[in-house]
Amino acid sequence: MGTLIKQELYKLVHKKGTWIAIVFMLATQVCFALLRKAFPKFFLLTSLVSNDYLGGGLYLFIMIASAASIIAMEFQYGTVKQLLYRQYYRSQVFISKLIVLIIQLVVLQVLASLMTFNLTALLFPSFNWGMAVGGGQTLLQQYFLAMGGNALVNLLLLSVVILIATLLKTNAAAITSGFIGYFISMAASSVLLALISRWHWLRFNPFTMLMTSSQIMTPKLSTITLMSTPLMITLTVAYTILFTFIAYFSFRKRSV
Amino acid sequence: MANLLSVQQLDKSFGNHRVLHGVSFEVATGHIVALVGPNGAGKSTIMKAILGLIPTDGGRLTINSQPVSITSHQALKQVGALIEYPGIYPFLTGKQHLKLFANKTQRTENIDAIVAALGMGRYIDHKAKSYSLGMKQKLGIAQALVNRPKLVILDEPMNGLDPQAVKDLRDYIRQLADQGTSFLISSHILSELEKLADDVLILNHGKIVQQSSMNDLVTSGGTSYLISTTDDVAAKDHLRRAGIQLAPTEKITLRQQEGQTLNQALNILVSAKIEITDIVKVQHDLEESFLDMVNTKKEDN
Repeated sequence: MGTLIKQELYKLVHKKGTWIAIVFMLATQVCFALLRKAFPKFFLLTSLVSNDYLGGGLYLFIMIASAASIIAMEFQYGTVKQLLYRQYYRSQVFISKLIVLIIQLVVLQVLASLMTFNLTALLFPSFNWGMAVGGGQTLLQQYFLAMGGNALVNLLLLSVVILIATLLKTNAAAITSGFIGYFISMAASSVLLALISRWHWLRFNPFTMLMTSSQIMTPKLSTITLMSTPLMITLTVAYTILFTFIAYFSFRKRSV
Repeated sequence: MANLLSVQQLDKSFGNHRVLHGVSFEVATGHIVALVGPNGAGKSTIMKAILGLIPTDGGRLTINSQPVSITSHQALKQVGALIEYPGIYPFLTGKQHLKLFANKTQRTENIDAIVAALGMGRYIDHKAKSYSLGMKQKLGIAQALVNRPKLVILDEPMNGLDPQAVKDLRDYIRQLADQGTSFLISSHILSELEKLADDVLILNHGKIVQQSSMNDLVTSGGTSYLISTTDDVAAKDHLRRAGIQLAPTEKITLRQQEGQTLNQALNILVSAKIEITDIVKVQHDLEESFLDMVNTKKEDN
C-alpha cells in the first residue's frame, strides 16, 4: 500500500495543474488581502479572514477537479491496466487514491490557513484573533470549528464526485460533472429547506447534510433542518462512507 | 524444464458469447511462446485472465505454482506486461514513467539498462505527450521489463516499431530469455515470431488448435516444389494419372510427402517428353502453417 500511495503522490506532484492551482489559490488570497487593505469599506475583515481570503472556496474547486481526475485519468490514458495487473488489488489501488486525496485536502487547507495567518499578521497587525464572536467562542476557535465543519461537507461532496468519476471515461467529463454536481447540490440545498418544512422525512436526504458546517457554526439552524447537530454530523459521515463504498463497487465492476 | 506459467482448462464467456473453450497450455522457464490467432480468437482475453484483470468462468491459472485470479494477485509480483496498447501519462517524461513503476532494488541500473537496450536515450527525458506511436510502444515495453520479471506478457509488442527497433527488441528478448525470463507474446507479424519464439500456440475461435515447438511446426509444414514446364496442363494431367497429389493452384505445386516424390514426378514428366523449364523449392513458414490451420478449421465448420 505504501508503494501505491507513493506512486499516486508522484503522479500528483508531477502534474503541472497541481502547482498552478496552488499558486492560483495563494495569489487569490494575497489579492483579496491587498484589496481589503486598499478598500477597507468594501470588505468585512472578519468575514474575509474566516473564509481564508477566499482561499477556502478555491481549494474545494481544486479538490473537486483532483477527485474527478484521479480515477478517470487512468481510464482515459489507458494506464488502469498497469495499476491493476500487479500484485495489488483494486481495493488497494482505490484506497491509495483516497488517501492521496485526503493528503492533498489537508495540505491545501494548511497552506490556505498559513497564508491567512501570515497575511493577517502582516497587513492587519491589530486584528484580534481572540475577540469574542458569540456562543462563548473566540474568532480563532470559530475559525477552526468552521474548518472542521467544512472538511466534513467537503469530504461528502468529494465522495459524490469520486462516484461520478468512476462512471465516466474521460478527465474532462468527470471534472465538468463534478462542478455541475456541486452547483446543483448547492442550489438544491436552499430549495430543500422549504420542502423539509412540508415533508419532515425529507430531512434525512444527503443534500441536507451539505448544511452540516453551517449548523455547526449556527446551531439554531436545527429548527429548520429538524435535526440535532450531532445527528447531522453522524449522517454526513455515514453518507460519505456510503458513497465511497458505491464508488468502490463501481470501480471494481469496470472492465479494463 | 520447469513450467513457469500453467493455464489449465480456461473458460471465459462475455454474456452469452463464449470466448475461451477449455484452453490449456504451459510456458517453460526461459522459453518464448508465441500466441497467434486471428482477430477475436481470444488472445487478449487469455492474457488479461493470466494478469488477473478479468474474472474467468472456469479453469486454473498458476505462475510459479502460485494461483492467479482476479482475487489472487500475489504471483503477479513476478510479471511484467504490455496489453493492447501502452498506458502513458502525458504529463510525465519517459524516465519518470520508469521511475514510477520500477522497484527500489537496483532502480537506476535497471532503468539505464532498459533505456539503452531499447535505444530510448535520445528522448527518455522528454514529456511522453510528445512521443510518436513507436516511442510510446517502446516505453510500454520498457515498463513491462524494467523490474526484470520472471514472466513477461506482451500483446502486439512490435506495433509501430521501425525495423531497427524490431530487431533491437528481438535481440533483447532473446537475451533475457537466455537468462531465464519466460515470454508469452502475441503478434500478427508472424515472420518476427518465427525468428523469436521457441514454442507456438495457435488459437482459433477460443480453442488451441496447435501447440508445438516452432521448429516442429515449421518443419511439419513441409516443403513444396513449384515446377514450370513448356506444357503445364499436360504435365498436371500426367502427374495426376500417376497418382501424385498436387496442390489446387494454377502452377504445378508438388508437396514433398516422402523422399521420392520429386524424383517420381520428374521421371513421369521426362518419360512423357514434357520439357521442364524451372523448379523452385518452397519451405513452408509459420504464416503458411497458421493460415492452413485456420482455413482448415473454417472448412471443417
